[in-house]
Amino acid sequence: MRVLFDYLIFPGFLFTVCLGLMAAWVERKVTARIQWRVGPPWYQNFVDIIKLLGKETVLPRSASLTFLLSPYLGLLSTLLVAVILGKNLIFSSAGFQADLIVLLYLLVIPAIATIIGASSSGNPLASVGASREIKLVLSYELPFILAVIAVIIRSKGSIQLGEILSNQADFGSNIFSWSGFLAFMVAIFCMQAKLGMNPFDIAEAEQEIMAGTMIEYSGLPLAVFKLTKACLLYTMPLLLIALFMGRAISPVFLLLKFIAILVVIILIKNTNPRLRIDQAMKFFWGPVTLLAVISLILALKGL
Amino acid sequence: MDLRLKALTKSIWVFHVSAGSCNNCDIEILDCLTPRFDLERFGIQLVGSVRHADALLVTGAMNRKAVPRLKKIYEQAPKPCLVVACGICAISQNMFRDSYSMLGPLDSILPVDVYIPGCPPKPEAMISGIVKLVNKIKNKK
Amino acid sequence: MDTKAKIKESLGSRVISWSECSPRRVYLTVKKEDIFELSRFLFKELGLRFVTASGIDTPRAFEIIYHFSDDAAGVVYSARVLLEDKLHPQVDSLTPIFSGAEWVEREIWEMLGINFKNHPNLKRLLLAEDWPQGKYPLRQDYEP
Repeated sequence: MRVLFDYLIFPGFLFTVCLGLMAAWVERKVTARIQWRVGPPWYQNFVDIIKLLGKETVLPRSASLTFLLSPYLGLLSTLLVAVILGKNLIFSSAGFQADLIVLLYLLVIPAIATIIGASSSGNPLASVGASREIKLVLSYELPFILAVIAVIIRSKGSIQLGEILSNQADFGSNIFSWSGFLAFMVAIFCMQAKLGMNPFDIAEAEQEIMAGTMIEYSGLPLAVFKLTKACLLYTMPLLLIALFMGRAISPVFLLLKFIAILVVIILIKNTNPRLRIDQAMKFFWGPVTLLAVISLILALKGL
Repeated sequence: MDLRLKALTKSIWVFHVSAGSCNNCDIEILDCLTPRFDLERFGIQLVGSVRHADALLVTGAMNRKAVPRLKKIYEQAPKPCLVVACGICAISQNMFRDSYSMLGPLDSILPVDVYIPGCPPKPEAMISGIVKLVNKIKNKK
Repeated sequence: MDTKAKIKESLGSRVISWSECSPRRVYLTVKKEDIFELSRFLFKELGLRFVTASGIDTPRAFEIIYHFSDDAAGVVYSARVLLEDKLHPQVDSLTPIFSGAEWVEREIWEMLGINFKNHPNLKRLLLAEDWPQGKYPLRQDYEP
């Protein structure tokens, strides 16, 4: 019973969806304000999802079975991450051994679900989007894992999320150290790519390939994909807060830190043009990995 | 059904199709999404794929080569889908009425919900057309 | 020697009429057998740029006007060719000289029905696929 409550209501499906859609609204409103417009009202994302539920689902003739199944894959894994993170932030001992590895593994799955869905739709433009998404995932996963390893080294080698949090509560947040700060910058870039936001908007929503990976989706599967994106927008900053700024996590401070990270992402999104896929790969395999390796060396030295 | 139509009026995603237009109406459609006439506050977004569309904005006098493709695009949009005839070439073909390469006005090809006249229609005219569309859906029930 | 003098000197006998509406706009009329040699001269020897060609159906004949531009001096030369035979109009194609004429001549053929000899690829360009063959829309006697 308790498990059902955790997974479905708080901090599970209902809570994550509401906060995720509100975070997506904050992003749209701030973007509109930066462009000197009035933005959409606060209920806009909820209405979008409800409207998509009322449209018919068009199934292309060349689509295979995984076309309809892959959106749910992404949503389920994101919700699992939200539940594990939420419970860890409330009770520091509610995690299990090596749950950070489980989190990292689960966070790759939404991207894989996008790739599977786009490839199984049978549209050549979607396959172009899928190939770009594959290259992007290959680029940003390595620096992200290196940054997380830097955090693990700083927490005296423990991989459990709860112990990382309690370590920060004793010795100070990871972000206020040299290695932690560099790892935080690397993690912000990787998060920008994972969320599919603007310099790395490459796989989807382009004027070049007509909505890329999601070109054949309509109705309920499209609503699930949009929900997955919104839930990722809520979950990833929370993970970054837990890893890097985990000292004071009472709800007020948590909200402030969450909004601060959101503002950073939105500002990066609005002030940069979209990169080409080869430029993005060079960026991640060049400067960003270098930064992550430097932060790893500094963490080994104890800084 | 009530909730479905109500949600449709508050978040219309438009897809723009040009069936042989001079591109003036197309520029004015993009103009509506700029900061001065901001359509996003009504929930209207320009989407890249037909399968995400709620409303098709059709411009242009209907060209012989474009009409079969326009019909295919209409079939690919998930219903309920609204059709908006934008500009006077789509409504009545303007001065190209007797041309050898134009087939007929838009309502002889697709069922049209709203007509927005003008050559090109001002953004204010397009916004008022969308308000009429929203009112029409609400009264349709 | 400037360009106008060069043209008059080398092809003077073949130019039927020469009128300068303004200092930068020259209209010359040639016979249809000479247009290939004229455009080869203008393009290869003088280095003028081929702009486009326009065809029209007038009561006397079909007219095709080829426009060449002298970018350095800012002058445009228009060479007019008259085709009196309205039943089987034919003229040499300029595609062997510069490939930019290929699509221009395809459009003139499908709208007016003028046959271009030695054209490599005389197919439809702008008309729809189900447009009937043999109907040329821009002729004066076209019935829809």
